[in-house]
Parts: sequence; structure tokens; C-alpha cells
Amino acid sequence: MGRKGGSPETSGPRSQLSIGDTLRTASTGPRSRKLRSALSALGITIGIAALVSVLGLSSSSSADLIRELDALGTNLLTVEAGQSFGSGNSSLPVDAPARIRRIDPVYEVAAVSKIGGGVYRSDLIEEGRTQGLTIIAADLNLLDAQQGSISQGQYLTSALQDFPTVVLGSVAAERLGITELTTARSIWLGEEWFVVVGILNPLPLAADLDRAAIIGYPAAAQYLDYEYEPDIIYVRAHAEHVLDVRSVMSATVNPEKPEEVEVSRASDVLEARAAAESAFTNLFLGLGVVALLVGGIGIANVMVIAVIERRNEIGLRRALGATRFHIAMQFLTESFFLSAAGGFAGVMLGIGVTVVYAMLQDWAVVIPSYALFGGFGSSLLIGGLAGLYPSLRAASMSPTEALRTR
Amino acid sequence: MMQSTTNVSQPQTDLSEEFALKLQGVTKSYAGTPPVHALSDVSVSVRHGEFVGIVGASGSGKSTLLHVIGTLTRPTSGSVFINGMNTDGMSDGALSGLRSRDVGFVFQEFFLISGLSAVQNVANGLLYSGVQEADRLRRSEIMLERVGLGHRLNHLPNEMSGGEQQRVAVARALVHEPSFVLADEPTGNLDSRSTESMMELFYSLNEEGTTIIIITHDREVAERFPRQVVLKDGKIESDSGLV
Repeated sequence: MGRKGGSPETSGPRSQLSIGDTLRTASTGPRSRKLRSALSALGITIGIAALVSVLGLSSSSSADLIRELDALGTNLLTVEAGQSFGSGNSSLPVDAPARIRRIDPVYEVAAVSKIGGGVYRSDLIEEGRTQGLTIIAADLNLLDAQQGSISQGQYLTSALQDFPTVVLGSVAAERLGITELTTARSIWLGEEWFVVVGILNPLPLAADLDRAAIIGYPAAAQYLDYEYEPDIIYVRAHAEHVLDVRSVMSATVNPEKPEEVEVSRASDVLEARAAAESAFTNLFLGLGVVALLVGGIGIANVMVIAVIERRNEIGLRRALGATRFHIAMQFLTESFFLSAAGGFAGVMLGIGVTVVYAMLQDWAVVIPSYALFGGFGSSLLIGGLAGLYPSLRAASMSPTEALRTR
Repeated sequence: MMQSTTNVSQPQTDLSEEFALKLQGVTKSYAGTPPVHALSDVSVSVRHGEFVGIVGASGSGKSTLLHVIGTLTRPTSGSVFINGMNTDGMSDGALSGLRSRDVGFVFQEFFLISGLSAVQNVANGLLYSGVQEADRLRRSEIMLERVGLGHRLNHLPNEMSGGEQQRVAVARALVHEPSFVLADEPTGNLDSRSTESMMELFYSLNEEGTTIIIITHDREVAERFPRQVVLKDGKIESDSGLV
């Protein structure tokens, strides 16, 4: 604000307005029009709440996923028979588990085999109605390799695996209607009754096992006429060497046809899931930004109307000694108030949504600080942009024009 | 831009400091075809402590004169001295500072801010002159007492009658002890009884030393003023104060 002529000696002190008085003055407008102010701030609230809760939820869920991965380990390799040229499915050599055990960093090897035949609640159920459940023969250390846990009863032991005993995966137990083992329960595996000795918790790294009735190899041979042939081998290796182990795995398992062996890392599947979730996060973030922009336009709109409606107030304040700058600051600060109130409410709402949803999902609540400060900061930025034009317009109004009553 | 100077001694550049207001050959024209000459060659001086009525029909240039005297608009030519200070070439900011100290406006429509109580509205008269808030409120309470509204301090404008609202506006115009009060049709929106008591208030304020300039179209009201300046077609037709 340049001074055209008139040194301080000839014009006297300029008018002044302290920061505190600017804030006080700017708060009178919104305070005397509460409903309109609240509605205009609502757009910002929704936008910020969307941003904060999307960031909070994705952080909470990925924190949960990372925790899950840490618990399950990223050192589990799954070895399967791949496609062979011409002759359909190939199979793994019978001595594959033994050969894998010879790889130095490997400390756990558990084989499982799919066995033909269905899983039934009783022998009266029509053959073929297996409810998508399969019979799997497994080594005794399967649970260690999967780092899985027992929900009820116990896992197979060296004593039990010779007898017709079965452990159910979590989904299998549910589909068979077996939820507790306080009374002895048996299921029909096509040729023989098997006693249920345990139920597993879900195994996130091998969802196929959740839908299986798991029996021991000796029982499979004795009661279901099964001939040993591993289908899938779960391998745990020391984490720092897991990639090296993976690179020699195919040749170790099947030196003649290494291309017929498929090796995968189970945790990769979970990581892919995390990546898919983050794609959704970006979509919702985009929606939040759109809501924020619409909220900003709402505030700009309300401020433009306020400047028109309060023309007389602007004229009066100019007559009382307010400079153009004071008028501009008053309306700009008012716009900041609206957006800051909306932003604060949005941050609180976003935190609330995140906490409630995370609790329902049993996640630890993780809200990144950049979501909180970024959310509030962007609401202030929007408020400043929205208030810029209305406040300049108010400031440029001539006092005589502003004091006109019609 | 917010100076913290506490030196409020009035600087003087003109010897005529006995005048609260002095207009010298003021002309105000608005561009157009043909250009409109709202004021032409108006010269008038108001001494401290005077009570002056500026009377004119609508279209006589009253409103323009009000705006020129109140430094809300600049004359096309001629000079405006307020309390001995030449306002020529002052910046917008400097004029704002001048208004915050030396001019007390009273408007026909009161222009009270609806969300603020009587005392807060009066305190707005000191808002832009660098006085602390506690001091503003204290002085406003005293001023409201003086205009007879000591019992209405915390009422909102819509809880008061028109006459009371205009008294609040007068208190607001007086609270910063201006060189003169400039009232634009102050009784235009009041009934006859409120008009009477409002005029009595002005007379008593004047007796206590306040310089008062009232702009009105009402010759009957103006007839009782100690001095009348009659405006017609942008020129001064008569001035009872001239010797």
C-alpha cells in the first residue's frame, strides 16, 4: 500500500487493527450466521474426513498385513508340479522332500498330497456331494511349516497318524457343521470312518488347506489305498537365504526336468493383495480431493454472497477508519475460519471413522501424521484460495458505493 | 502497515486550526456526456464547537458534499482541510487513519452490526485507531451512559427501538472524540418523538463542546440550527454563518 504524498508529519498516524482485533472482527460474521456457516464448512468437512479416513484405513490395514506377514514369515516356499510338455500334469519325484532337506538353509520341509474321494458328514450322504472339500495327506510337521495353530483338539501325531484320524481345516469344519469336539465326531472319507481329533485355525499362506480334511500318510496308505507321491511341498528356509534356496529349488527337486517344477513364495500373494488395496486407496483419495474442491467452491460462494449482503457494513467500516487492507483481511480471515472449522471437524470425523472401522476389523489404529496435518493444512489452503477473490472484491469497493442503501 | 506510534499530537500544516473543517473551492464532477457537476466551487468553514446544518433538496449535491467532507471521496478540484490538515494527495490509508480520528459519522440507516451488542457496536468506533479492547469497551460504556443508554449496554440492535439504535450510532460517532460529528439525515428514519429527543441530544452534545454538522433535506428541522448552509444545484446558495 503505497503512500501517495503526505508524509507522516502531515497525515498523522495511520489507522491500525491488531491481529487479535482482526480475528475478533472476522468471527462476528460466521457467528451471527451459524447455520449458513456450518453448511458451507460441511463440504470441507466431508472432503477432509474422506482423506483422513482413507489414509488412516489404508495405513491401519497395511499395518495389519505387515504384522500378519511378520507373524507368518516371508520365508515359506511352495513347491508344486508344473505343466509338462504334452502329457498334462506332471508330478514331483517321490524323493523330492528328502532332496530338499539337503539344501543347507532349509530347516523345515512338509509334503502334502491330494487324495481322490470325498469328505462327507456320514456314509448316508450321496457320493459326489463333497461341498468342495478335499482329502489331503500331510506330514506331521505341516503345522510348523505353515506356522499355523490349532483351534480345537490337537494335530496328528506319530501315534495317531497310523489310525483313521483326521484334522479339519477351518472352512472344512464349518461346512461339515463341526464346531466343537467335546463329543467324539467322525466323518466319512468315502471308504472309512475317520475320527476328528482337531480343527485348525485359518492358514493365510495356504488357503487350500482350510478346505481340507487332513490325514496322515500311513492312514492314507492303509485305509484309502493311497500310494505315496507328494503334490505340494512347503519349505521353510532361513530368511536371508530364501531367494538363494528358491533359485536352486527346481533343479534340486527334479534335476532332469527342472522346468516342470513351480516354486512360489506364499507371502507374495499377500503382498499382491496389499498392492490391490492401495489401488483402491488412490481412487478414494481422488474422491476426497474432489469433495474438498467442491467444499472450497461452496465457501467461495458463501463469501461472495456475504460481501454483497454486507456492503453497508463494508462502507461503515471504511467510514470508521478501516483501510482496504483491513477489509480484505476481515473477509479472508472469515474464509479461513470457515475452512479451518470444516477442516478440524473433518479431521475429527476421519479419525472417528478410522477408529471405529479398525476396531470392527480388529486392526491396530494407525493414522499417519501427514494425513492429520496435511488434511488440516489443505483445508486452510482451500480457505485462503476460496476467500481471495471475495476479500479483494470487498476491499476494492468504494466507500461511497458501499454506503448506498439501495 | 500497523504503526505502533503513540504520538497522537495533531500535526498542523495550516494556520486555520480554529477550523474543524474547511472546504476551499471544492468541485466534484462525474464523467459522462454531458459531465455531471455535483459540486461546483463550494467553500465553507466550520469552527470548533459550531452546530451547522447543510440543507438542500434531493439532487442538490448533499450526498456528494457529505462524502467529500467525510473524506470518503476526493474532490475533482479544490481542497479539504480537516482540523487544519490538508487532505490533498493523502493516500487511501492515510485518509482512513484521518477518519478513524477526526470524523464521526452518523447515518440515516444507523448501520449497526446486527450480531454485536450496543457496547460492541460503539466500540467499533475505536476499532481502527489502535486502542486496546478493554479500553474501547470502557470508553464505549461511558459514551452510552452519556447518550442515555446506560441500561442498554448488552442489548442487540434488534432488541432496541429506532431511536435507541440511532443513539447507539451517535455514541459510536463520538467515542473516539472526533473533530466533528457528520450526521446524514440522522432523524430520517425516526418518528417525531424520537426525532425531538435525538435533536435535543445533538444540542446538548454541542453545548458540551462537540462540533456538529448535520446534512438534511428538512428545512423545518434545519430552521432551528444555529447556522444553516443552503445547497442548491451543487452551489452554496446562502450561509447564515457568514458575516
